[in-house]
Amino acid sequence: MKPGRAARLCFLLLCLCCAGCTGWQSAMDPQGPAARRLDQLFWLFTGTAALIWLLVMLVLALALLRRRMPPEAVAEHRSTVAVGGAVAATVLIITGLTFASYLATRQDSAGHADALVIRVRGFQWWWEVTYPDAAPDHSFLTANEIHIPVGRPVRIELAAADVIHSFWVPNLAGKQDMIPGRDNALTFTVQQPGIYRGQCAEFCGLQHAHMALLVVAEPPEAFERWRAAQLAEAQAPRTPEAAEGQRLLEIKACGACHTVRGTAAAGTLGPDLTHLASRQYLAAGMLPVTRGALAAWIADPQTIKPGNNMPMVSLSADELQALSAYLVDLK
Amino acid sequence: MAVMRILAALITAASVLWSVSQPARSEVTPAEQGGARPGDGNHFSPLDQLTPANASHLKLYAAFPTGSRGAHSGAPLVMGNMLVVLTPFPHVLYALDLRKAKPEVAWRYEPASRGMAAGLTCCGTGGPVSYGNHLYFNTVDGRTIALDPASGAVLWDVQAADPALGETLTGAPVIARGQVVLGNAGDDFGARGWITARSATTGAALWKHYSTGPDAEVGIGPGFAPPYPTDRAVDRGITTWPPSAWQHGGGGVSGPILWDASAGLLFHGTGHPAPWNPDQRNGDNRWTSGLFARDVTTGEARWFVPVNPHDLYALGSTSALLLVERDWRGGPAPLLIHPDGNGHVYVLDRRTGKVLSAEPFIPVNATKGFDLAAGALVRDPAKAIRSGATTRGICPARPGATGAGAAYSPRTGLLYIPVRRACMDMEARDTTFMPGTAFTGGNLRLSPAPGLSAGALVGWDIAAGHAVWEQAEPLPVEGGALATAGGLVFYGTTDGFFKALDAGNGVELWHFRGSSGIVGQPISYLGPDGRQYVAVLAGLGGVPGSASGREIDMRDATAANGQAQALRALPPRADGGGMLYIFALP
Amino acid sequence: MTALRCAALVVLALAGCKQEERAMRLDPPIAEAMDAVALMPDGIGGRPPEVHVAMGNPYRGNAYQISQGKRLYEWFNCRGCHADGGGGSGPALMDGWWRYGPDLVSIYVSIRDGRPNGMPPFRDRLTPEQIWQLTGYIQMMGAYSASAAAPGRNDRMFSRPSENRAPAAAPAPGQP
Repeated sequence: MKPGRAARLCFLLLCLCCAGCTGWQSAMDPQGPAARRLDQLFWLFTGTAALIWLLVMLVLALALLRRRMPPEAVAEHRSTVAVGGAVAATVLIITGLTFASYLATRQDSAGHADALVIRVRGFQWWWEVTYPDAAPDHSFLTANEIHIPVGRPVRIELAAADVIHSFWVPNLAGKQDMIPGRDNALTFTVQQPGIYRGQCAEFCGLQHAHMALLVVAEPPEAFERWRAAQLAEAQAPRTPEAAEGQRLLEIKACGACHTVRGTAAAGTLGPDLTHLASRQYLAAGMLPVTRGALAAWIADPQTIKPGNNMPMVSLSADELQALSAYLVDLK
Repeated sequence: MAVMRILAALITAASVLWSVSQPARSEVTPAEQGGARPGDGNHFSPLDQLTPANASHLKLYAAFPTGSRGAHSGAPLVMGNMLVVLTPFPHVLYALDLRKAKPEVAWRYEPASRGMAAGLTCCGTGGPVSYGNHLYFNTVDGRTIALDPASGAVLWDVQAADPALGETLTGAPVIARGQVVLGNAGDDFGARGWITARSATTGAALWKHYSTGPDAEVGIGPGFAPPYPTDRAVDRGITTWPPSAWQHGGGGVSGPILWDASAGLLFHGTGHPAPWNPDQRNGDNRWTSGLFARDVTTGEARWFVPVNPHDLYALGSTSALLLVERDWRGGPAPLLIHPDGNGHVYVLDRRTGKVLSAEPFIPVNATKGFDLAAGALVRDPAKAIRSGATTRGICPARPGATGAGAAYSPRTGLLYIPVRRACMDMEARDTTFMPGTAFTGGNLRLSPAPGLSAGALVGWDIAAGHAVWEQAEPLPVEGGALATAGGLVFYGTTDGFFKALDAGNGVELWHFRGSSGIVGQPISYLGPDGRQYVAVLAGLGGVPGSASGREIDMRDATAANGQAQALRALPPRADGGGMLYIFALP
Repeated sequence: MTALRCAALVVLALAGCKQEERAMRLDPPIAEAMDAVALMPDGIGGRPPEVHVAMGNPYRGNAYQISQGKRLYEWFNCRGCHADGGGGSGPALMDGWWRYGPDLVSIYVSIRDGRPNGMPPFRDRLTPEQIWQLTGYIQMMGAYSASAAAPGRNDRMFSRPSENRAPAAAPAPGQP
């Protein structure tokens, strides 16, 4: 290969690698102190390992280049120094890195008095999000999307309903498993507003790869506005078609699994749909919340996300139209 | 003119005096109801022909097969010379003529029934009640019916409860000031609980108040004065629930409703909140699992006492209620006594609702005592329930330490409590709400309390706050007790015995082995021949969900909500149905 | 010779590669046809839809469908009245006694349309496919012989022997 061509190839590969450094789901793009600590730890490990690698390569190169063996006594002395040095360095490095890891992650489970508590429960294959409150009628449920205020510590209490899942929003914090029967928690803070994508990081079944969630960090006033809007009951239908959609929601099988507060649908097996259209994605990050995507999802959830627990309810085209018109309006 | 005016005034005064001096209409004379005023819940008969001296000579006077395989949990009713029996669902109402040598059927009435309601309840039905010359009863499928017993003709028949919502009527109505007062069951199906009054003459609805929801629907207004300050806030029936959860919150009024004519108040308990899984209904869940006092004319609430707030074990507070006038720590006091399913005997001041005492009548570990200042039980965190987890060895077990049949004798001053002593393992799971289907979310395994018999009849000294004697039973006692002025206590057991004990010291004086377990309330009456009779309905049906009732497979430890295993010792049923037994001295 | 032995081993190993077929969903026309059971006039027994026979009775022998049925049994409150097959206010489902017949059609219709003494209808709450999954699970629960496709032990509070251990015909402990 010509040198120029090789250089160009290397440059392209480097660009590809760097593409993982930024974005809304990147551990290399920390947006809060927790993620920053992990990022620093990562570079510390990488740097240390790179240095060691370089050192070893250097010594190997020296050994290959040097043809003459030194006298035995000198060689013995040198190898003792080398081995001794290597052992000491290993011990120091391991101790140092262990300590660094401990320091980086111990604040993740620390409690903060003013932390906002959110409960996230992992289901196959979606996230149930509860915002608890001292007054039970000010708590509410949503799904697959978490809103948090900037600048305030957020404590996510993690639970799992069926199998082990893992909560991972790389820009904000490390992974924390959600284990049935065990209480885990993760604390982090976000400094600036933004939208960050996370996903399940523990294999949990057929659709593990399609279990994404969104964390929306917004200024505190915007967060309070969002919270107040989520407490309200579902938007009443504003057109006749949407009214027909609400009627269908109540008489078809929807209400057996889903809740839409303000209607007769009070099921708790699937995601809460009261403010479905206030979320950006459907089915844990599979589809955007648009009327067409809603209709496609309801018409055939199993082709979009095979093996998930939503059945294919038989609906006519008109019924799908009406239902999607109602649901897309549930802001 | 003046003479006319004076005459008019005198007539008015006389009529007022006359009406005030009449006994409250729901009180029927001693001959009719065995003397127990149904409004006071005491299950006490003033008849004294039967005494500890002659009780051992009691003999079976008559046995009448009811032809029903269900749970006979109601009481028969005596009206004049008739004994009226309501069989379990699907109901048949029999009127037996007591003047014949052996009581025979004078007439029978069979209301049309909606079979779907049979799946909504395990445990039987209330009995008929009388008012004036008319008979009133509730059907499990939600109807309240008024009959003219002379002709057997139906006066009115209204659908008071809706089985499509999971509502049933499993208790007897109470007649108070010309109103038929009743409450629904259906907590296990997420039916919202209520209490209503209907006109005794026409059946028209007069008022209806719910156990959850906004103050206006619960009947909480300016006259509401709860004894504990937290309940004075607005709309507690909404703010103590997650959003919308109160709409299928339970709290049915399926237990005894008492009426205090002098105070003009109704007293009743509310059932447990729905679902059983407490993590799906965070908050105190007002106004379930507590006791209400309501104005009898409007149903407006006067006070409320929470007994099992945020009920962890779905016990409710629909067990026995008794109005007792006696001395309490000094002077006379109007008391409301409530032995609750959580294992404590609550003694309340009827006027304000304040809890005066709450001593445990069985060993309990779910609670560690009672805080009188706060008026609340102290819970043991080790026995807390969490969704998805199993908590073991909780005492008392669901459905509670006692049912609806306690009795009080003013002669002995003792409270007679039929007791269930079982402990349970409870696993709470998430459950979804679909109207008309079970809304529970809890799996239970029951076993008798360690070192104790599974049931007993406890003689409890109210003033001292401890038991004076107990009669141990091998199985939980589901039926009610009857205390008599002659000094006896009658009760039936789940394994079919009907016993008479000395009311003072609890010694068993007589027993009779019936054909099936007894879960009903005994009564005592004076027959047309002037002799004292004791009558009780036998027939277990599906009360404990036992193998003798429904089709149960005991390999499943959670069958019948855990009770099938707890009642393993129950002998298999040999008979074909329920029986009415009447006993008298020969 | 070594190569031959290797080849033989590979062939044997590949034979184990046949995974159970999992139908995530039925095609819509088939789903509709699966609801068309032909019922006897008294509501007991009948003929399954022809597509059911054509599909080779997929709900009894398929572990995936049975496990879906087990999930639905818990999700839709069957336990509230039937416990874990032991019964309560509803009859036991694991004892091998079938009020309306042991065949798939009777069980399917019981769930879909309800029964007179308190079984509510689920036709508006479950799709036909879900009702078939439940039917397969329930029939297996009360079957007279153990099935290899039956689920194993639960990872939760013990209630009854697991489905792959307890055929209905076994005597109950403590009973003659």
